[in-house]
Amino acid sequence: MEVDQEDPLSQVKHPASTSRSGDGIPEIKPAENLHSIGIGILETWIERLLKCEILSESQVMRLCDTAREILVNESNVQPVSSPVTICGDIHGQFHDLLELFRIGGPCPDTNYLFMGDYVDRGYFSVETISLLLAYKVRYPHRITILRGNHESRQITQVYGFYDECLRKYGNTKVWTAFTDLFDYLPLTALVENRIFCLHGGLSPSIETLDQIVQLDRFQEAPHEGPVCDLLWSDPDERSAWGVSPRGAGFTFGFDISSQFNHANSLSLIARAHQLIMEGYQFTHEERVVTIFSAPNYCYRCGNQAAIMEVDENMNTTFLQFDPSPRSGQSNFSRRTPDYFL
Amino acid sequence: MRRLSTISLALGKERTRTELVPFLEEVTQEDEDEVLTVLAEELGGFIPYVGGPDNAHVLIPALEALSGAEEPVVRDKAVESLNLICQAFSTSQVKEYFLPLITRLSSTDWFTSRVSATGLYAAAISKLEGTERNDLLVLYKDLTQDEAPMVRRAAATSLPKIIGELPELDFDENSTLHTMFISQITDDQDSVRLLSVDVLIAIAESLKKQSITKYNSELIGLTLDLFNDKSWRVRYMAADRYERLARSLDGSELREKFIPSFVKLMKDSEAEVRTAISKQIPGFCSLIPLAAIISEIIPNVELLAEDSSQHVRAALASEISRLAPLLEKEKTTQYLLPTFLQMLKDEFPDVRLNIISKLKIVNDVIGIELLSKSLLPAISELAKDKQWRVRLAIIEYIPLLAEQLGVSFFDKELGPLCMTWLWDSVFSIREAATLNLRKLTEVFGVDWAKDEIIQNVIAVAENSNYLYRLTALFAITTLIPVMDQAAITDSILPFIINLTDDAIPNIRFNIAKSFKVLAETCLTWTDGGDEQDSATTTGPASPAAAKTDSASSTTEPSTGTSESTAATANKPVSPLAKQIITETIIPRLEKLTGDSDVDVRYFANKSLEEIDVLAKPLLEK
Repeated sequence: MEVDQEDPLSQVKHPASTSRSGDGIPEIKPAENLHSIGIGILETWIERLLKCEILSESQVMRLCDTAREILVNESNVQPVSSPVTICGDIHGQFHDLLELFRIGGPCPDTNYLFMGDYVDRGYFSVETISLLLAYKVRYPHRITILRGNHESRQITQVYGFYDECLRKYGNTKVWTAFTDLFDYLPLTALVENRIFCLHGGLSPSIETLDQIVQLDRFQEAPHEGPVCDLLWSDPDERSAWGVSPRGAGFTFGFDISSQFNHANSLSLIARAHQLIMEGYQFTHEERVVTIFSAPNYCYRCGNQAAIMEVDENMNTTFLQFDPSPRSGQSNFSRRTPDYFL
Repeated sequence: MRRLSTISLALGKERTRTELVPFLEEVTQEDEDEVLTVLAEELGGFIPYVGGPDNAHVLIPALEALSGAEEPVVRDKAVESLNLICQAFSTSQVKEYFLPLITRLSSTDWFTSRVSATGLYAAAISKLEGTERNDLLVLYKDLTQDEAPMVRRAAATSLPKIIGELPELDFDENSTLHTMFISQITDDQDSVRLLSVDVLIAIAESLKKQSITKYNSELIGLTLDLFNDKSWRVRYMAADRYERLARSLDGSELREKFIPSFVKLMKDSEAEVRTAISKQIPGFCSLIPLAAIISEIIPNVELLAEDSSQHVRAALASEISRLAPLLEKEKTTQYLLPTFLQMLKDEFPDVRLNIISKLKIVNDVIGIELLSKSLLPAISELAKDKQWRVRLAIIEYIPLLAEQLGVSFFDKELGPLCMTWLWDSVFSIREAATLNLRKLTEVFGVDWAKDEIIQNVIAVAENSNYLYRLTALFAITTLIPVMDQAAITDSILPFIINLTDDAIPNIRFNIAKSFKVLAETCLTWTDGGDEQDSATTTGPASPAAAKTDSASSTTEPSTGTSESTAATANKPVSPLAKQIITETIIPRLEKLTGDSDVDVRYFANKSLEEIDVLAKPLLEK
């Protein structure tokens, strides 16, 4: 079933992007630039990032500016068409992100939906978020990137992204640009009106998707309230709402998911946020699935990663994978001669 | 600092000697390590600027100061430069300037200068003879017995080079060399003892060159001591150089004495030692009798194949194939193949990979028939391995196997596998399977591809899952350049046209890309319908020719230069190609430029532009 992928909003706000001459014959030149960065330049940036080379400070600024113009027009519940491959936390494990593309197929041939937590913990947060943003700007309709609880000024100062930016660029301008941009990332996505995707989980203040659409998301991730809950909550075996051990968000039981899915005609809630040893796990009688895409999380948890392929008939397939052989650190035994010569 | 040569050229030789060099000498006392490193390096090239070798001694004081630096990099550069100067010196200059320098450095209180001193002896000894040389050796002996372990290490490191400069070797008991070596091999620091392995090799190789064998039994005794050293790092070093050690000590009977110690190292308690010795197995085995390989080494190879350390097994797997030529066909089948099969099923991917990538050596020995009979089941199993990188390794080995197995055998045993990989859940496997099909087509020919692949792939693409359609499209597009006219017009073109209206935009923009490949290939068809010609022409060559042609004809339209370019480009494009491009490809692409999806529009426009550039000059002829 063909669904027009063009977000109606983008046609309104970017008249240049869809302008065609009156008789319906499209323009020859790729005048479909949604943005100020040329396609050629973007492709060289993507090429460089794929080699794990960072962009310059000014390039990051331009990338963030352009990405913001695209993201500001996306909905809090961004509609996504199938087929699409849904992915969970990445956490700066850039080489494992490349492994993910080797497993799932390259962008743009495969459509992707990432559910947040691109930065912190791993050693290559800058490369990871830069590449995902570059893809987003180059192929806005082929990739959707949501906000995770780590896409926040506060959290990134504690868990590594701030320090990494400072180390790689010598100042905090890049961190400021990235974290300013994080405020524009959509909170949730909806695949073919059936699979509801978000980083954390449900909120006691939200009963319908329409309520999410009404939220004002363009701000630093708050400490409480519906926006916070969407980024922080976890499903739980106990029923009803519970206090989250994380100190933010809630835990929600089978009854809550059941009611929410029913009220919104959903078949599944796909979320990330929690380490799963097998990479994915169904809970709440297959009403909720957790997907985690950082293999050997923090380079030591020994877990598998997974992604979920959703085909055009809404059938789902899970692909599990192990860390890429070059995951930042050598996993081989002590090499002998050097240190005593 | 990097501009020093320019400065000295401007100053002239006289002023460089009297002003610049003394100034630099003062600099050595204060500047940063990075600057001093550059200075130490630059001074080595300064000989011409101070007036040639005759005046080179003026550089010594500055370099002498640098060779006492705390920073090892600075010292190393200074020693390198001093050695350059020594080479330029005449013998009398060496005696006048260099020997006193060595003596001074060797006896300074602070150990850094003594470490640097060890690096200077070899150059001086090469310039000297007789008693002066012996005096230097005696002086060096003191360094090998220095109180600082750093100096002893440096002395042990430089000793092989000095040995290389000695025309005749005196290794009698109580000779200087003997004393030095014994003190190293019995040093209480294992970091010194392990360096004596290289010294031993230097002594043995040098003696061998001079055909002196009288010391061999003593050297063998010392070597065995190293193999039995209580420090694993020394045993590692000795194991790592086992073949060279055994080779340098001549005589096959003597080598047989090495067998027990070799076997002992194969059973060493440290995995590092076992890893090192595993890599030495074929090299050492080439030195000993076949009977000994079978009775002594093979049983232990079998044990190493089950070693608890994956690194040991991987090291063994990378080298074990080289045993096959030594064992020859019958014994390889009997003794090695079982180990091979076992390692092919190892749980650690590197082990399996290392075995597979060296299969050719075994193949050369036992022949493809025997190899395939025993290994094919294992390969089929690996082809379905859970680790996708193992599957990938097997796929990459398939064209090589195909070439050796022949069509009929291949179709029966491996053909179905190749199709299975095409529908693998991992993208990289599907991609590799696609390229594999193209390589197989190059081996087996177009007709094979038509019968075995094209129909099959197209049939699967009827599947309702877009991933199958996309993969089929990738596979067919990869094959287009190696296909003939009939295959393209009968099967491929209808298949692609059929997908132009696919519901999934990802399929449609890849169709746009495929149309360009198709047009590119059509343009290589020449008039007169010489199908064979176009079928054997592989893709990349012909479009390249077409490109040069279009370039030259646009830059110089009036001259006939384009006629001298590649033959294919020379002949007019076949009417059929022209028809396909203008009546099918271009109209379909134009339709796609009005697609509802932005990426489809982009890639359709891009393909149209590229086809325009390629085709225009050719179609207009």
